[in-house]
Amino acid sequence: MITIAGLRKVFPGRTGAEDVEALHDINLTIKDNEFLTIIGPSGCGKTTLLRAIAGLLPIDDGEIRIDGAPIRGPGPERAMVFQNIALLPWDTVLANVAFGLELRGVPQAEREEKARHFIRLVGLAGWERRMPLELSGGMQQRVGLARALAVEPKVLLMDEPFGSLDEQTRRLLQEELIRIWETTRTTVVFITHSMEEAVLLGDRVVLLSPRPGSIVEIVPVPLARPRGGRVDDMGWSAELLGITAKLWRRLRDMQPDLVRAPPAVAVTP
Amino acid sequence: MSAIATTRLDLRGRVGASRWTYRLIAFAIFAAAWQLGAMAAGTLFVPTFLGTARATVTLIASRELWDALLLSNQSLVLGFLVSVGLGVPLGLAMGRFRAAEQFTDVYVNILLVTPIAALIPLLLMSLGFTLTSRVVLVTLFALPMVVVNTRAGVRQVDSSLLEMARSFRASEPQIWRRVLLPGALPAIMTGLRIGLGRSITGMVIVELLMVSVGIGNLILRYRGFFEYELLYATVVVVVIEALVLIAAARWLEHRVTPWAPASGLRG
Repeated sequence: MITIAGLRKVFPGRTGAEDVEALHDINLTIKDNEFLTIIGPSGCGKTTLLRAIAGLLPIDDGEIRIDGAPIRGPGPERAMVFQNIALLPWDTVLANVAFGLELRGVPQAEREEKARHFIRLVGLAGWERRMPLELSGGMQQRVGLARALAVEPKVLLMDEPFGSLDEQTRRLLQEELIRIWETTRTTVVFITHSMEEAVLLGDRVVLLSPRPGSIVEIVPVPLARPRGGRVDDMGWSAELLGITAKLWRRLRDMQPDLVRAPPAVAVTP
Repeated sequence: MSAIATTRLDLRGRVGASRWTYRLIAFAIFAAAWQLGAMAAGTLFVPTFLGTARATVTLIASRELWDALLLSNQSLVLGFLVSVGLGVPLGLAMGRFRAAEQFTDVYVNILLVTPIAALIPLLLMSLGFTLTSRVVLVTLFALPMVVVNTRAGVRQVDSSLLEMARSFRASEPQIWRRVLLPGALPAIMTGLRIGLGRSITGMVIVELLMVSVGIGNLILRYRGFFEYELLYATVVVVVIEALVLIAAARWLEHRVTPWAPASGLRG
């Protein structure tokens, strides 16, 4: 279980500029085996929140605890999947997936066997000896996912992992992720800017406000699981759309300047 | 699939062939212009292309040239090795640690902008006409290129890779070995290649201006005897050596960093 209490993050402004408060009083509890998605307007601090949970970013106030222990930097129970994928271009797919295990000192034969298992799991069997730059964007992110899964984390932190992919690839990977998650059932914290993605994947959707990011609402998603491959089920899809629409109304309300009718202009004949 | 692959291979083959064709044509034009220009000038000081080519063959067959090359290359090899040995670690430290950067940045800049030949009198006074002063001068020529490129290589390592490694709890040595060094390697290799070219320049300059031995001595002697064909031939030999060494460096660069884009793009 991850508990976040009173979390605040301020980025110092560049010389002369004011400090920027990125996150303001975040209180959140993430249950074990929960798939939590976080959504909010761009620049709201979604990624900052995830990096703080990952232990990659010092926080200014409040605390983050995992199973009761406050985090100090990255930990073995967490693994991250990055928006820009971050594969080592000089290593094979196999070595990339085994990277986390290698850093932990797992012997080569053992870590490669494990890596092969997760490469199969993400559907890349046969690509072990290829280099990352030979792969498409979608395949690269499968490698990124396999690399995170290979260290068998309790918590998977995903930072807009499908954000840079085209829609078809994105859908395929969403279905794959649902399938994989339903077998592994790790806790997932998933950042996205796609409302549909947030609802499709999440047990709950956390809505963040514009900067400084704070939690506006947590929307439960009562869609039945398993959800993999159910997009063609009409009733199910209607439910999905309903929740997505609700989310959109809330997000739109957060940016009144953009949608409020312009002030009436007196028209004099 | 295989048809596409074959076509691509064919294309590449044809492009390769045509590149050599163009090079040969360019060289033929250059040689012809030289030959005609020299014949038109009709002076002893400008030998013809054919005369120089003949002299080059004679020179390459002579013991004298190889002795001179051997002697000159001592300073080249030693100076280049010292540049690599000092420059790569220094560049790595400057790229990664702010303190190292602040301590040494100004000296690297001085070395970059100072005309190194102007330092020759200083070297002569302090070190005399020795192998050491030749090696030091070659090092002064090559070192800044190695440092600057290595530093740039470390700095340009994708910061998301560093963050990724950190998220998997990599230690600083692990970050160096698995991320920083491989990431900087293409730029380091470029630095070595440029440094090698500068070493050759340094090697010849030091012998022309300072310690008259080896190739530089040969050049000065042929000039004194009005042997202009042999003088030009000596320069041709130096150019050939430089081209061979640079090509070897390029080949090595490609071998050790196969994932990196072609070195032509990286200068």
